[in-house]
Amino acid sequence: MSGTIELYKQKFENALHALEQAKPFAKSMYQTNVFQTAIDLAANEQGLHFLYEQASRFDGAGVFNGGPWEDPSKMQPPLVGGSLKLKGVNSIVELLSELRILAIAKGDYDHEAISPEEARSFLNEVLALNLDLLFPPETEEARLDTGEHIERAQRLFRFLGDELSFNAIAGKIVSEIDRLAVQRPIMTNRIEKMIQMARHMMEADIDENQKSALAGYTRALTFPSPLSREYQSLRDYRIKLKDLASEDLKKEAEAFAESMISTGLVSPHHAVFVRFINRAEADLLTIALELDETGTAGYNANRELVRDLIQISIWPETRQSIYGLGRMLNRGVLTQDHLLPSIRRLFELNIHPDVKKALMKPEFEQNGMTANGVLLAGTISVLGQPLGVGQGLNPTCQSARAISLWSQHGTGQLLEYIARAARDNDIDITFEGETIHSSSVEGGVADEIHQELDSVSVVLVPHLDKIYNEMMKKTLLRGEDGHKWVNPEFYGEWIPKGFSNVIDPLTLGVKNYGSFVRLFYATHHPDFNEGYELIYPNPVGIFITNVHGKLLGLHAVSIQRIEKDQAGEYRIYFYNPNNDSGQNWGQGIEPSVQGNGEAEGESSLPFQEFVSRMYAFHYNPYEQGELFLVDDSLVEEAEQLAKDSWGKDYTWL
Amino acid sequence: MGTNEKRIALLGWSLQAIEAADKLNKPFVVVGPPDYQEFADKNEITFVPWKFERINEKSDELYRQLDSLNVKTAVPIYEETVEWAGALNARLMNDPRIFNRSLLLRDKGLMKRKAQMAGIRVGVFEEAYSKEDVHRFLKRVNEALIKIDGDLNDPIHVKPLNKAGAVGHRMITESREIDEMEDQEFPCLMESHLDGQEFSCEAFIHDGKVQFLNITEYVQLGHSNFVPASPSLEEWRPMIKDEIEKLVDAFEIKYGVIHPEYFISADGKLHFGEVAARVPGGHIFELIEKAYGFSAFQAQILCSDPDTTEEELRAFFPEEVTSAIGYAASLMVYPKVNVIEKLNVPEKLKNDPYFEKHDMFIPVNSKVAERVGFGNHYGTIFFFGDDSERIRSLLKEYQEYDFYL
Repeated sequence: MSGTIELYKQKFENALHALEQAKPFAKSMYQTNVFQTAIDLAANEQGLHFLYEQASRFDGAGVFNGGPWEDPSKMQPPLVGGSLKLKGVNSIVELLSELRILAIAKGDYDHEAISPEEARSFLNEVLALNLDLLFPPETEEARLDTGEHIERAQRLFRFLGDELSFNAIAGKIVSEIDRLAVQRPIMTNRIEKMIQMARHMMEADIDENQKSALAGYTRALTFPSPLSREYQSLRDYRIKLKDLASEDLKKEAEAFAESMISTGLVSPHHAVFVRFINRAEADLLTIALELDETGTAGYNANRELVRDLIQISIWPETRQSIYGLGRMLNRGVLTQDHLLPSIRRLFELNIHPDVKKALMKPEFEQNGMTANGVLLAGTISVLGQPLGVGQGLNPTCQSARAISLWSQHGTGQLLEYIARAARDNDIDITFEGETIHSSSVEGGVADEIHQELDSVSVVLVPHLDKIYNEMMKKTLLRGEDGHKWVNPEFYGEWIPKGFSNVIDPLTLGVKNYGSFVRLFYATHHPDFNEGYELIYPNPVGIFITNVHGKLLGLHAVSIQRIEKDQAGEYRIYFYNPNNDSGQNWGQGIEPSVQGNGEAEGESSLPFQEFVSRMYAFHYNPYEQGELFLVDDSLVEEAEQLAKDSWGKDYTWL
Repeated sequence: MGTNEKRIALLGWSLQAIEAADKLNKPFVVVGPPDYQEFADKNEITFVPWKFERINEKSDELYRQLDSLNVKTAVPIYEETVEWAGALNARLMNDPRIFNRSLLLRDKGLMKRKAQMAGIRVGVFEEAYSKEDVHRFLKRVNEALIKIDGDLNDPIHVKPLNKAGAVGHRMITESREIDEMEDQEFPCLMESHLDGQEFSCEAFIHDGKVQFLNITEYVQLGHSNFVPASPSLEEWRPMIKDEIEKLVDAFEIKYGVIHPEYFISADGKLHFGEVAARVPGGHIFELIEKAYGFSAFQAQILCSDPDTTEEELRAFFPEEVTSAIGYAASLMVYPKVNVIEKLNVPEKLKNDPYFEKHDMFIPVNSKVAERVGFGNHYGTIFFFGDDSERIRSLLKEYQEYDFYL
């Protein structure tokens, strides 16, 4: 074996040497052999270590010439896991690139564009995002799924883990979970997966703060209350609950509520508990759901309805809706009498067989849940967490934004759409006098809807997406951005009729950017808009850029409110349907999700920074200030930010 | 590089050829598809964009461009650029016949006829313009072989008149195989089948004289070959050399490389298959470099240049056969599955002292493209060692192996 490795080392050395000697234009002919011999070495620890020792030579030799790895400062941590898991040549190139960055991090190799700290932070993030490679799951399925390249990636991660501090990785993981959890999404699967993975970190030697943060999250998902820690099986727990004295039940309720409120996560035991007290000691619900005054009042006025809601829809599988139920009551949804029949209607609605199929999972049926219960649980979540609605993996930000908007300001309409779609598998929306039925339209923005969504989105998004797409089609030849007409009719009367877009639809260049910025200031900035407040969320279009400010694509978000933060600076608070708003947009523009006065599910940016990424917005032409009063410097600053980022991909007319 | 020095033009984009030219330290220019312009600019390679596949009446324009770049001779890298080199060199060297000679190499029917007229032994051949022609040829060849009803047919071969190597090559034994041919395959060349040891030669010609003759032994056509040939084939070298010289004279080849293919039949007679005047396939140039230590690409360039001196050539080429430091072989690998899931390179192979390297990866598109004729190989394994018999048995052993699962 050691003879073999010596042979492999020699072959790699020869290949790397040949590559070093080659002229830049000829590098590609010699790279293949470097990659092949690296594959043989990376098949064991000793070889991997040898590769690391050569890593400082990689850039100079041209290992990455002519490919996406050429400039290490352009590497993005979220892409690493994906390329390592590919079967082809990319996975070995990616591995060599990580070794190069490790060499930078450890000071074994100086790179002009990346500091050791940046390299270290990059690798920490890579590890935090790929805990499944650092701690391979020991399931049969995962085992069957491995291949040589997966084992190699796992070996690399063990190596990186040994070379880097677990503490820093744990810190990254905790902040990543914090960042996602604080936005209180309805769908918590991604957060849960990270917590599951991070449990292995607790055995490693890490900082007490990180450890307790991770322990807290783990507890929130598993056994947050005293009795649940003692009786971990749901069945034993339920049996024991019966014998519990009132004050102990209260303690359980408090423990569950505390854990839920601090993390936004709900444990299965919490669901068992709520179902139990719903019958045995319903007064404790105000504690278990963490109700405030409004919530308690709403609950007391509708005890029977809440009892039925819990009975039908709250199960260990739909436990997250407990959080939604509490928020829904606190938002005062049940104090609006006209909504009550619309909610009650869902209890016994005849659900269309196709919709039933989409809603139900095998385990739901086994545990006695009904499609109505699943749909109701989703409805509760959406009504309780309007800003927790997410688009999942679908390009359907428009539909998610609509559901979120209606949940806030058009609850009656939303409930109507839910009932229509669930019962008839069809909804209709009128566009310029013409009724569009989703069931008679082919094709939406998305070819196929990924089903990892809340159950309201599962039911509604396929219809909304098709209708939206059809409306846009009808505006294709108007020579202006169709959103101008589509948005007010698709979302409803909450959207003002004025509309401005920086992209000239005929030339696809940027036109009159200065007046676009002025108009936004004059209609939205409190210093320039004559004091008109934003009444309803404003659907705006933004350019999404990466950490280097490079344009990635177009996206839809909603401005929720514009207010001063604690430092007295005007910020734009917005809802991002991707539920992951804390991304770095480059040029120092990094939306925050907490710490600047954000409500649950909101992200925020200083006014000016947000403006620099915007390409379209609606406004009320009757409520605007004077454009010429907007300072030239503000306009120039926005224009500079725009031109240096997404603007590079456009012609400026 | 002196600016007044005349340049070589490489016709076709090949990094190997460019690297070889660069290392020769002589000025050169590359004529290639326009897609490479950016890369060439970035790497300061003098480049003239040209679409060779478009037959147009602007070839004069290319000549004038190259002339203004002080080009003295054009070197064809790919089959498709051979007649372009002919046309350009005819102008550059003021000898219109160079173009007509190059056409002999681009029409396999013409090529065979020329060889036959020069007294070179060839099989029976004919051009086919329709499926009827192929049916008749198959029938007549087998009648000539005195086959009666019920006997198995001897196969015939059909191939395009102007494609490189094995591209579009079909072997036909039964008439139903003729029906599978498509209309655009016509016209084509039909040949009788020859049994025997197959090999190719790479002859570097300067001023009409063979400067260096390499013999490449085929273990299986289109799959595996090695350089130099085994002693049992090298025994025939004097006779092979005579044949090559006959070919050079018949085709009036003065400068460059030729790559003819031959068979030696059981009765010890040499049969001519076909000849090309470009870089051969099957990684043969790489094998020559590995075995002899000189760059065959450089050899081609030097021999294409009339100004290269005797001394330069003598200093460049080593002695044939005896100076080879070992046998260099390549095995071309074709997937035997429709979808590639896994790459399976056995440890036994990787640890074999004769194993040099391979370039197989799981392709990005794991669905295997349908093979036409011999098709394109997906990867290559290189061997190197002292014993030609061991090389041959390795090639045979691993040709059967499933590297792609």
